[in-house]
Amino acid sequence: MTISSEQGSHTAETVAQEVQQFLEQRTKQTWDPDTDLFSTGAVSSMFAMELVVHLESSFDVVISGPDLALDNFRTVNAMTAMVLRLRGVKP
Amino acid sequence: MTDAATDHAELVSGLIGDRADAWDLAGELPRDLLVKLGASGVLCAQVGPEHGGTGLDSRAGGELTARVGARCSSLRSVMTSQGMAAWTVRRLGGTEQWDTFLPRLTSGDLAAVGFSEPGAGSDLSAMETEIADDGAEVVVTGRKVWITAAHYADLLLVFGKYRGGATAVVVPARTPGVRITRVENPLGCRAAGHANITLDAVRVPAGHVLGGTGLPLPLATTAALTYGRMSVAWGCVGILRACLDAAATHTASREQSGRALAEHQLVARHLAELYVAERHATRACEHASASWDTGSPDMAVDAVHAKYVASREAAQGAARAVQLLASAGASDGHVVARAYRDAKLMEVIEGTSEICQLVLAQHMRKKVRP
Repeated sequence: MTISSEQGSHTAETVAQEVQQFLEQRTKQTWDPDTDLFSTGAVSSMFAMELVVHLESSFDVVISGPDLALDNFRTVNAMTAMVLRLRGVKP
Repeated sequence: MTDAATDHAELVSGLIGDRADAWDLAGELPRDLLVKLGASGVLCAQVGPEHGGTGLDSRAGGELTARVGARCSSLRSVMTSQGMAAWTVRRLGGTEQWDTFLPRLTSGDLAAVGFSEPGAGSDLSAMETEIADDGAEVVVTGRKVWITAAHYADLLLVFGKYRGGATAVVVPARTPGVRITRVENPLGCRAAGHANITLDAVRVPAGHVLGGTGLPLPLATTAALTYGRMSVAWGCVGILRACLDAAATHTASREQSGRALAEHQLVARHLAELYVAERHATRACEHASASWDTGSPDMAVDAVHAKYVASREAAQGAARAVQLLASAGASDGHVVARAYRDAKLMEVIEGTSEICQLVLAQHMRKKVRP
């Protein structure tokens, strides 16, 4: 399940890199860290769900309740910030 | 199956006995049976032990669902509702809400989840139910239709619009302003307690709003429905196993034109196709459960695929079984007659076959985007 290194070793850089790789693989295009994924129409509700599950299993976090807000998935930077917060990493 | 799943399956099989036919004819499941199953954690067996459940994984929970589905699709539908309610709390709720509501769902309280409305079926974005802040409470107003198990429910998980987004709110069924009216004479799963719900300015504590904020409606509903789709899909595997069993038994024992039915080639083909249908549905469900259990990002799409395949196979397979049993199975209450009616509804519920096709097509289209 965990595709990258052991617990506690993630930084903003490694998280962002992993998220970008996943997005590129799934959407066949590259994404700048602050491009709004949802405003482009390239992603569906099903894709939002894919992102949730992928982030959970890749970074060993649980994304539930208010964390499911779309703003947390809108950009690579937003997802990175959320993952680091849920992992308890100080920015 | 795991030990816990086997124990659950034996408990349920023992409690069902040979009564599923009578429940179908009466259109009612015994309430004490549902409460007993709820209190033993069987109805939402994937809830973890920390909340009073048995923590089955999706695969073991699925096999249990198929076992129940083979005996009684009405009871299996109640399981689907209870499990989906628990999963909705888990997915959309915060940790305090897990601790408040999940133990209730494993100790005998029954739950139903309300999505559909008079003007919002396949298009849930047309949902009109409102959850409005009012101090320490929220006010819920709207109408829900065809809500499985609502007739039995102590807790209603009602999806509605909230703070510019959407979420579900937990409404105790006996709250003033809640009216629950049974759907009369449903085509299938006749004892599953389908009901329409009217919520007339119903007030509940603000802490009952899952997540406490507005979420994107498609994400909130997809998260909840993904569990329901897995459960319906495994339930359809159960329908197919029951049909296969009934058809194999009947065609081996009944003779026409001096030999067993199964020795007639056109009958044999039906049997072969029923077997293929059961295997096909089972493999689709196993694949989706593996995605669920490993946290694959394809989990939601795989659940749609499994539900689509299993409900289609079940509807076709049940029709074959009725064809094979003919007059022996053509009375209401009979296992294949129930399967025939129940399976057809499974092509409609939790996303129609057509909605499933659109989701799957969208999934493919995205993959070849340049």
